[in-house]
Amino acid sequence: MSLDLTALSKQVRQMSNSLVTDVRGTAERTSEARARYLSEAGKEQRWTQAVDLSRETAAWLLARPVEPLDTARDLPPAPSSYALVATDGSQIELDRHGIVDCYLINVGRVFLRYGSQPAARLTSSPALCYRDEDLFLSDGARRIAIEGNYLSARRDVEEGVELANLAEEFLTDDTPSIAMQDGTLIRWALANAERFVQEHFLQRYLGALDRLRERGIPLISYISRPRSPEVVGVVRLMHCPDVNLEVGKGAKCNECSDQRAGREPSCGVCQGLTDADLLAEHLSEGQRGPLFASMSRINVESYGQHLIHFFYLRIGRELARIEVPRWVAQDSAQVDLAHALAYDQCMRGQGYPVALARAHEQAIVRGPDRKAFTRMLEESLIGAELPSRTSRKRESKEFRRL
Amino acid sequence: MERIGEVIESSTTSFTAGAYELLAAPPFGALVRAQSRTPGLAIYGLIYEIRTGSKEPGGRAVVRGRTYTGRNLYDAEIYHEHPDLAEVLQTEFSAITVGYVDNERIYQYLPPQPPPVHYSVYECLPNEVLRFSERCEFFRTLLFASHIPSDELLAAAIRNAAHARANEQAYLIHAGRQMASLLKDDYDRLAALLRRIRP
Repeated sequence: MSLDLTALSKQVRQMSNSLVTDVRGTAERTSEARARYLSEAGKEQRWTQAVDLSRETAAWLLARPVEPLDTARDLPPAPSSYALVATDGSQIELDRHGIVDCYLINVGRVFLRYGSQPAARLTSSPALCYRDEDLFLSDGARRIAIEGNYLSARRDVEEGVELANLAEEFLTDDTPSIAMQDGTLIRWALANAERFVQEHFLQRYLGALDRLRERGIPLISYISRPRSPEVVGVVRLMHCPDVNLEVGKGAKCNECSDQRAGREPSCGVCQGLTDADLLAEHLSEGQRGPLFASMSRINVESYGQHLIHFFYLRIGRELARIEVPRWVAQDSAQVDLAHALAYDQCMRGQGYPVALARAHEQAIVRGPDRKAFTRMLEESLIGAELPSRTSRKRESKEFRRL
Repeated sequence: MERIGEVIESSTTSFTAGAYELLAAPPFGALVRAQSRTPGLAIYGLIYEIRTGSKEPGGRAVVRGRTYTGRNLYDAEIYHEHPDLAEVLQTEFSAITVGYVDNERIYQYLPPQPPPVHYSVYECLPNEVLRFSERCEFFRTLLFASHIPSDELLAAAIRNAAHARANEQAYLIHAGRQMASLLKDDYDRLAALLRRIRP
């Protein structure tokens, strides 16, 4: 037996016990943080300024308030007919021990139309990437392999490009329409990448966003059970003893005065809290919270006119995070449409947007398909009389020697 | 004539087709014709099973008649509200092979090859049903087939064939006599069958 269940069960028990105590502590801190947050409603200008001052020097993520902090907007009525497109992707990673250097990106494509003329189109489009420019990024001097995070970034880009393609193919009349992506619109995977790598991916991605903007199709992304602590970052500023707007001073975490005085930092009350924890009690079914602009570095520095904004939306027991680019956030009719349609999609999908669930089903590469793909590769290499090779490590895993 | 589906599974004695339109399979006992690779040769089958389910293996339908907002949806309304269902569900029908037509001539025994997968399937119109049912050798094929509701299928096929004719009564009597000679040592089964085709 390779997993010692007896040894494991003791650890599982310990974990549950410690989780129980954590939950009690978190609930108290959450209500304290929430009370502070709501008490600052009406002073948004002050906190916008504080966010701008602290953006570079705070050690945590921040969001700039765009609407009153205590906003709780009721669900707007959904149009009786609407259309949407959605994409989701999956990949088969480059296998270093495999027979040939390549990876596969499969993008699930969905078009749905509701109302007087219902319609649906579910497809997927695979792309086999094996050329040198698929496998490596180069600025002349350096060569960076596209794998791990960068492969995810490439997939995200393909999802965005396909979404714009779908919009151009299907969203051609004046029915209210949106384009929907799964997960965040902020390409975090590239946050720490080198400049030329960032540019390589973002240029194509933002190009796709340009195309959606030109067509006037609002883009939204849906994040189920979000864990981001960006609004919590603003509450941290509210607790920070170093913020002094009168003298233009924001939070500087590496010069924290609490820490210097040997105290716990005052913002410790926010430790481990998420935006969803903070806003949960304030929003009732179907309501959305205030719009914020994400202040993450890559968003501020590279997204330009597409600067990503977000709001939280109450759907059943969950708060979902909806992200939109600035040109959607600035158009209240489009924000209402995004709000209404995200909610309607979840209602039709029993808690999660139908379009995204279908896109995922189309994108996912299941075990048998994966095997068929490997076999197809092998057969085609043999057919072309090319040597197919597997590593010694792979062989040792496949055949257990006794 | 418009094709209604295509073969998705095929063997010497039966074939299964996927319908192009969800929930729109020909009725139980209907005669269908599947195209073959040989020009002028097509294979006849009688539908013995119709089913609708997930296209993906392992998928199961969930109830959708009551929405989260408390609205009730009934029957076709559910499909109207969820157009994606038509893409993820599939209606299939299976037919037992009862003969074939080669250059206008009809044979009531197994064809040399089963219909190829992905080839077209058509529902036969009354005049073709009439032509096919002029002979009764396929009765025997159905009576001795296993794993299908053979008596029900034979009765349905006979009712269908009678329906395609001006003189229904005469065909029913003719078919009854044929069955009597095939089932001369099984009175109970014959009686049950005759009750199923009685006008």
